[in-house]
Amino acid sequence: MAVEAGARRHPSWLEGLDRSAPVWALAAAALLLLILLPLGWLAYMSVSGERGFTFGHYARVFTDPRLQAALGNTLVLAFWSGIAAVAVGAPMAWLTARTDLPGARGIKSLVMASFVTPPFLGAFAWVMLAGPNAGYLNRLYRSLTGAEDPIVNIFTMTGLIFVVTLYTFPYVYIMIANTLGLIASDLEEAAAILGANRLYVALTVTLPMVLPAILGGFILAVLQALALFGSPAILALPAGFHTITTQVWSLFQYPPKVEMAAAFSVPLLLSTALLLLAQKKLLGRRGYASVGGKGAQRRIIALGPWRYPALLACLAVLGAAVFLPYGILAKAAFSRAWAQPLTWDNFTLGNWSFTFLYSSTQSAIVNTLELGVLTACVGAGLAALLAYVTTRQLVVGHQVLAFLTLAPVVIPGIVLAVALFIAYTRPPFLLYGTLWILFIAYLTKEMPVGYSQSDATFRGIHPELEEAGRILGAGRLRVLREITAPLAKSGIIATWCFVFIGVIRELSASIILFTPNTKVMSVVIFDLKEEGQFGAIAVLGLFMLVMTFGVVVLMQSLLGRDVMGGRASGAPG
Amino acid sequence: MPGVTITGLHKSYGDVGAVVGLDLRVEPGELVALLGPSGCGKTTTLRLVAGFLKPEAGEIRVGDRCLSSPAVVIPPERRRMAMIFQSYALWPHMTVEQNVAYGLRLRKASKADRERRVRDILQAVRLPGYGSRYPGELSGGQQQRVAVARALVVEPEILLLDEPLSNLDASLREEMRFEIRRLHEQFHITTLYVTHDQSEAMVISDRVAVLQHGRVAQIGRAEELFERPRTRFVAEFIGRTNLIDAVADGPSTVACGTVRLRVAATDLVPGAPVALSIRPHQIALRPGRAGGAATADNVLGGEVVRASFLGDSVDYQIRVAGSGTVLRVAGPTPPRARAGDAVSLLIPAAACLPLPDSVTP
Amino acid sequence: MTTLRLATAVLGLFLVSVALTPLAASAQDARLEAARKEGKVVWYTSLALTSSEKVAKLFEQAYPGIKVEVHRTGSQRILQRVMQELQANIKIVDVIHTSDAGHYVLLKDKKLLLKYAPAGIERFPAAFKDKDGYHFGLRATVNVIAYNTKSVPAAEAPRTWKDLLDPKWKGKLVTAHPGYSGVIATHVLALVNLYGWDYFKQLAQNRPMLVQSAVDPSGVVASGERPVAANGGDYTFYQVKKKGNPVEIVFPKEGVPLVVSPTAIAAFAPHPNAAKVFTDFIFGKAIQQVLADSEGLYTGHPDVTYPADQPKLSDLNILRVDPEELEKRNEEIKTRFVEFFGA
Repeated sequence: MAVEAGARRHPSWLEGLDRSAPVWALAAAALLLLILLPLGWLAYMSVSGERGFTFGHYARVFTDPRLQAALGNTLVLAFWSGIAAVAVGAPMAWLTARTDLPGARGIKSLVMASFVTPPFLGAFAWVMLAGPNAGYLNRLYRSLTGAEDPIVNIFTMTGLIFVVTLYTFPYVYIMIANTLGLIASDLEEAAAILGANRLYVALTVTLPMVLPAILGGFILAVLQALALFGSPAILALPAGFHTITTQVWSLFQYPPKVEMAAAFSVPLLLSTALLLLAQKKLLGRRGYASVGGKGAQRRIIALGPWRYPALLACLAVLGAAVFLPYGILAKAAFSRAWAQPLTWDNFTLGNWSFTFLYSSTQSAIVNTLELGVLTACVGAGLAALLAYVTTRQLVVGHQVLAFLTLAPVVIPGIVLAVALFIAYTRPPFLLYGTLWILFIAYLTKEMPVGYSQSDATFRGIHPELEEAGRILGAGRLRVLREITAPLAKSGIIATWCFVFIGVIRELSASIILFTPNTKVMSVVIFDLKEEGQFGAIAVLGLFMLVMTFGVVVLMQSLLGRDVMGGRASGAPG
Repeated sequence: MPGVTITGLHKSYGDVGAVVGLDLRVEPGELVALLGPSGCGKTTTLRLVAGFLKPEAGEIRVGDRCLSSPAVVIPPERRRMAMIFQSYALWPHMTVEQNVAYGLRLRKASKADRERRVRDILQAVRLPGYGSRYPGELSGGQQQRVAVARALVVEPEILLLDEPLSNLDASLREEMRFEIRRLHEQFHITTLYVTHDQSEAMVISDRVAVLQHGRVAQIGRAEELFERPRTRFVAEFIGRTNLIDAVADGPSTVACGTVRLRVAATDLVPGAPVALSIRPHQIALRPGRAGGAATADNVLGGEVVRASFLGDSVDYQIRVAGSGTVLRVAGPTPPRARAGDAVSLLIPAAACLPLPDSVTP
Repeated sequence: MTTLRLATAVLGLFLVSVALTPLAASAQDARLEAARKEGKVVWYTSLALTSSEKVAKLFEQAYPGIKVEVHRTGSQRILQRVMQELQANIKIVDVIHTSDAGHYVLLKDKKLLLKYAPAGIERFPAAFKDKDGYHFGLRATVNVIAYNTKSVPAAEAPRTWKDLLDPKWKGKLVTAHPGYSGVIATHVLALVNLYGWDYFKQLAQNRPMLVQSAVDPSGVVASGERPVAANGGDYTFYQVKKKGNPVEIVFPKEGVPLVVSPTAIAAFAPHPNAAKVFTDFIFGKAIQQVLADSEGLYTGHPDVTYPADQPKLSDLNILRVDPEELEKRNEEIKTRFVEFFGA
């Protein structure tokens, strides 16, 4: 075959250009701006003094005894919460995923309820339950036993760890339940045939396989505990001790010591980064232990006489996380005096009218809904775009993009808020005082969650489905629209819901960035707590829970699938 | 109908070279099978032709258009090709009709035209009236037919198939092989077919290209590859064979230990190493020691190690006297010897093929 | 002739005054018109939420068309807000009302206040007036001890500030925080002047529960969570007692720190006319009487009558705190308190 005039038949670079490239480039640029700008300012502020560059702030961080105490308290809190979360979450996951525990589905739903409950609301409810004198449980105990002293005092480090554990163990639970779902039970069956009893099998066969996920879950729980603001503010401050987050917040009181806050935030940031690095190393790039194929056959282990004790134990945990707190909130919402029994005298609807007629409440609810919807829409869209780009490896350096998208997980909410405060209270972007600064904070904070969910969604859609479209003549964007998007729909909706729920309950960043005009519901609740308005707090808290559960129910009915499973449908065949 | 010309194609993943200097020519209207074990580069080659990957060196031309080069790759949607995937890749949220009509919609065919062509192609793949079903409701074989219909209905210049039958069970696979061949003979589209199954390649294709380590080891018609393999690899990959390492001791004889063989060559250099391929079915087996005159070019004595009854043939393993070599012999039923019996092997010289390009991996 | 002259003079005077009155009245009307156009007044207030809301609702009823945006938080937080917003060039607040007199020294210094004297303010006692006319005391309360009558029999109740140092109250006290509340900041300074910082060092050893707002201790004691409040605004305890809670108030003989809560209009107020109308309103007899009657507060208004069950200010041993000193030592108060109490 004669060689044709090659020069004429070689395609021009224009023909070969992928027309979808600018879209990805834009998304990447937005991400960079979102993350690097505030962090840059944070670093800058932490070393800026009156006369220019200084390490003085860092020096004070490590020498000031109060700051040291806060650091120490935070470490204790995070570590023990992590341990406790694993001690509670792992067995529960095993029980529901691998055994014939009765009511396993109900247990799962209740764990989900605990997962979406804002921790500060739980802390507040536990004040009413376990305050050493007026707490419901203590009064019950005293009336039954006639004792003088309380049986539990929630205003202690132990109390704080207890409450934090109640609302972080779901993270461990989800991680381990997912992993257990991937492990085929042949290995366990082999052990059982050889004569090992259930417990022995669990300890010697299942446990080692799940160990990476357990360690990963521990680290995740620790990360959550480190970043909490509401629970320590409610339980630790009355007892007279600080954690890093409450200390950073108090540094903002007049006159504000923003440079100190910045310098104090950096160690927190570095430790979360290190923890995440450790977790990545443990679990590999996927973030969960890669064991075996998908949906392998799993044998259910019979618990025998242990069935009902196990169920009781699970219910006890969920009682502490869900039933008791919700119950006491409902009671306080309708009581004139929250500590008194709910007699007809004590019953009132006054709390409801007071709360909703309070002008701050009304604007806060509007703000929260606006921000929730906006952040969820933009966040889900951006996350989907970025997850698509990285799963299909569309741009050079997509690994960097994935890293950046997940990076905010490293930044505790309050640190992010400090960084945003520094970045956006000065030109050129003077966003402080508007809802936009809150929007940016929420978007940045929720990106990792949105991204993970979208990432799982797109991984569930076989690339060949898209390639089939392309080879038939559809460009990338068209394929995205006509083929990928419909298949990804349920996953994207799940992403939307997760982001929305995350925004409604956000406190640690909001508490720094709000102004009286831009309050959100969580901030109003916190303000009311400082005045001791228990009834109003209970009402608003219940309202927040109803909103959250409304979204959850909507999501589950729209999608008809187990939301916590995290697996998207869409693979062919 | 254009042909495909691949010259000097290179593609690596990191340090690993998947395709290393591959040359291939597919004539217009021809069906060439890319055959090889996993890791040989056949799927990578196919994806390079489809435009999903960019080559580091070399060119892919269709007709006189250069579609892929290290500088520019025309995107898949503008290459006028169609592809059938191992996973079928049918869109679960669309009906069969919508799946098949997708390419036609992109080509802005009129509604009437679309409907007619979809109806006709579904008829051709023997799925008439399945238009309103969803892929989830179909069996594996039916899904694959829909995938074929979807690819053929757009009348592509080039058709690419990536191990389309691997997910089907054995009997369905056999049936579908003939279907695909029949459709090829009906539409005559230039086709590249990737498979690791040698019998599938031989049934379906006009020519087979055997790939090893990222390049074409040998290309030719099925009989050619079978009867005149050029390398050890091809000899072993296509059908079973006995491979013997010997040393030439004459222009057409070799020595292997104490055994001397007359081979199908006339230009051997004495002293040079020679790799021989002897197909099992070309060795005749006689019970007992050969007596008297040599009735074949090569007569070897041996002992039966094992005789396996396969139903339509018998598979013998014979230890050759005077060397440790064990030869596989395929004989007709009923078995003529049992384990431990002494037998003679009669091998014509024409069956002893020296392999000229014994590329040691 | 002189009678005629006198009559003319009187008539002239009468006519002039009649002529002038609409002028004075129309000045008021003009301001009200302008206020209605502005449509709202933004009020940063540290007065208890229920009380603040009540005042706001009464104003809105009296002046339909002008909304009151109530933003209630602790005194120290209010100052933080104001300064933070100013730094970011955000101008929202119209009327600033806290319980920390020191704030107003600071704000006045920085020229952040508008000089405005509410109508009728001349009749208020000196303690409620800024001599330069920038801020005025809206309300007053005193810091007291309170206890839960169900948990503590009257005979055992603490009677003096020093009584609270008794180890028998370990784990049974609640205190609010000067880092949040102006009422408490004033209280701390007053007691430091009385007994020195040692007092608080010893008080800390009884490990009181720390709450933020001066309103909170009343809830804590009423619920029985802690039987004794080591400080807190008298008016808050009065309110919960009136609601029927088992709370009793003690006015220590050593002296009760008086907290006069000033209010002022921001120099940069976006709704200055509405702010002025509002300020006049809250210093008027109607509101001041409401503050005294249902909220249990003391006021500077000379015509206000107080409930029989509230002790008269003149009967109490009042501890006064100099606003300048309060401003100067603000940082010290907060830091040393945290030093002793931990948070």
